[in-house]
Amino acid sequence: MGRGRALLGFWLRLMGFATILALVLCYAVYVLTPKYDYGICSITNLYRQDRDTVDVLVLGTSAAYAGVNTNVLWKEYGIAAYDLCGAEHPFWISYYYLEEALKTQSPKLILLDAKAAIYQQDTTKRGRTILSTYGIRDLGTRLKAIRACVAEEDFLDYALAFPQLHDNYPNVGWDSFKLPPDNGGRGADWKGFIEVDGHEKHHRPSLVWTKTKKPLNGRQRGYFEEILQLARDRGIPVMLVGFPNPDYAHDHMYYNALWSVAEEYGAFGINYNQPDLRYGLRYTTDFADWQHLNVKGSVTFSRKLGEDLRANFDLPDRRGDAAYASYDRCAENWYATHPAYASEEE
Amino acid sequence: MSILSFEFLGFVAAVAALNYLLPVRARWVLLLAASLLFYALSGWRGLAYLACCAAIVWAGALLLGALRDREAAARAKGDGETARRMKRRRGALSAALLSALFAALSLVKYSGALLAGLGMPMLALAAPLGLSYFTFQGAGYLIDASRGKASPERNPLRILLFLSFFPQMAQGPISPHAQLAPQLSSPRRFAPEAFVAGFQLVLWGCFKKLVLADRLAPVTELIAGDAAQPGWLILLGAALYAVRLYADFSGGMDVIRGVAAMLGVEMVENFRRPFFSLSVAEYWRRWHMSLGAWFRSYLFYPLTTSPLGLALSKLGCKFLGKKAGRALPGAVATLVIFLLIGVWHVASWNAVLYGAYFGALMGGSMLLEPAFKAIKARLRIRDKGPLWRAFGMARTWALVLLAQVFALAAGPRQAFRLLADAARNWQFSGAAARLTKLLPPLEWCIAGAALLLVLAVDLQYERGVEVNDKLARGPFPIRWIVLILLIVSALVLGRYGEGYDGAAFLYTQF
Repeated sequence: MGRGRALLGFWLRLMGFATILALVLCYAVYVLTPKYDYGICSITNLYRQDRDTVDVLVLGTSAAYAGVNTNVLWKEYGIAAYDLCGAEHPFWISYYYLEEALKTQSPKLILLDAKAAIYQQDTTKRGRTILSTYGIRDLGTRLKAIRACVAEEDFLDYALAFPQLHDNYPNVGWDSFKLPPDNGGRGADWKGFIEVDGHEKHHRPSLVWTKTKKPLNGRQRGYFEEILQLARDRGIPVMLVGFPNPDYAHDHMYYNALWSVAEEYGAFGINYNQPDLRYGLRYTTDFADWQHLNVKGSVTFSRKLGEDLRANFDLPDRRGDAAYASYDRCAENWYATHPAYASEEE
Repeated sequence: MSILSFEFLGFVAAVAALNYLLPVRARWVLLLAASLLFYALSGWRGLAYLACCAAIVWAGALLLGALRDREAAARAKGDGETARRMKRRRGALSAALLSALFAALSLVKYSGALLAGLGMPMLALAAPLGLSYFTFQGAGYLIDASRGKASPERNPLRILLFLSFFPQMAQGPISPHAQLAPQLSSPRRFAPEAFVAGFQLVLWGCFKKLVLADRLAPVTELIAGDAAQPGWLILLGAALYAVRLYADFSGGMDVIRGVAAMLGVEMVENFRRPFFSLSVAEYWRRWHMSLGAWFRSYLFYPLTTSPLGLALSKLGCKFLGKKAGRALPGAVATLVIFLLIGVWHVASWNAVLYGAYFGALMGGSMLLEPAFKAIKARLRIRDKGPLWRAFGMARTWALVLLAQVFALAAGPRQAFRLLADAARNWQFSGAAARLTKLLPPLEWCIAGAALLLVLAVDLQYERGVEVNDKLARGPFPIRWIVLILLIVSALVLGRYGEGYDGAAFLYTQF
């Protein structure tokens, strides 16, 4: 065999090897990535939703995924909502999640959690929050999201994933190999709502209802505007939501600043912490901890949210539509495990 | 830039690609540029120091070569007086050059310990990367040039490349000029099998370092640091330290030799399965071979054949008998060399004791060799018998482990305490709990499996199977599976990333 032919064979084999290696390493990254509810699951499961079946896309932090009970919105209002949220998601992760979601979904409304307004860091604080970007399927978007999350010197470690993930091997079980993840046994019908169990007694926050603003972190503001701009470009209205929160006194002035930016873009918003807004939410019984609604709270809050959505937006009632059968199944499953709320509604 | 970083991987890939795109004659320029860039990334001061060394070595070798030529010419003309004068000048110049190199090395390397002793640690000089390695390499070249074994290189940049070739900067090996320089000047054409073999060696080195050495690192440090340990745990700690050191150093060497092979350069071997040695002397012929070879060529032979060595031999014959007397210069030279090797590692009393221990052991065994031979002959022991081999290996292990206690401990007092503790308190109650406290069970399993794999591969080499070459030449599907498993296991099970200092090699500091 001539040298030229031998070299050609070598290069072809090298390319073959590189391809197989890349696939194996991608899968290894997937296996090692923690499949937390609040991590990659909401985005990986979004890819499993039928095309254009999400009418209300919820973006934001744990306050949003614990608060927006998609089952209540579906069963009581016929609203097809999906919680595309993660713990402590800053606006930059929400932005890239939105970019990714718009590739397969055409929501009629975006609900945007205001909580990220209070984050002051230029980068993302927690590793687990950054890891939620590993669920983004498009490699380019994923890398952009990682770059937005971390300091420049840490980018390579997160982009290559292994330096951040490899220590997770003791937690790898058989379920880690399942592709896509089974969302804690909830399957593909799950719509991103995560119950936060427990009960902590709190009091309605007492604060001076001022219009004073605390300046937003520059990067948070920048990405918040990017979200509003992207939504405007696609003709999708955005509703800013201030989720009820016993610790709200700390957040109030940041929310003021955020609302004023939203107004510049003509975005509508409701802050559910307003002292005069009473809809049956009890701070003594409806919170799991100092910032998350528990199941009971999520039901009460979502009923009010459903009412407000109906009043302010022209959202279709999808109940009975065969294309939305997965919402029926998701709600049926949920109410079957929470019969008290089903009977309450009836 | 650590040689176990993704940045280094990218750097090597870029250099390798450019290397094979350039014409063969121009490749050394690329290698020089890459080496200087690599070195500059570790600090400009170090690069300046290296450049000064290279300039001294280049100019020194040219002068020595010229003196040698004049000496030869004078001798050819029958002018004995001029020849002797040139020889004296050559000797003086050699001594001056070597003194300058080693004085600078000592100043930089030991100023820290010295100034710390004087209470002024802040004034210590930062040692340039690979200081010892390029100093020894340059000194070896100067001696070879003086002896006429190396023809002086006229191009200073080629000498700079010889001293700064980037793969060897992290931890050697110390390559002879005759072996390395011709390869750097005219590297081989691209050979797929050599490239693949180099890549495999890199992966194997990464596996040994990341999965085995760095997994054992915290265990050995915990054992050395804890005051109350049962004897068996101290010995286990010493054994694990020996394994860790081997996996760390030889793993690093595999990476270095593999990278060089990917660039078409074959570097000298530095390890040949030392733990299969039948004697301590053999162990040192298999451990850090390039350093041992350097000391043998440039110190042992000159010392033993010097007038002092000959006088010592005469004296020995008079008092110890003919056979032992003849071995006396070698025994003394061995003791001196091992003291130097000890101090070369680090300026500490532990290092002195470590060197003295091995020097005394090997020097003593040289003197007693005639007696040992007589005893073996009387007992009819066959050197190649399996039982004698097993005994030899166990004896070597035991003697090496004793020395590891000095390497493991922070100071002589702690080393002697550990040795004293190792002899008592052999209580095994709570052994499992102690081990689990050091490392979780899963980690022990991974370390054990990695050790077995390293042992199995080394055993194949001992049997004469060139595992790396065989894999590189073998069927590609098998090779792919092996390589993918190695890559995934090193990436997943390796100790690196946040919270670990795995990238630091034990021998980088030397």
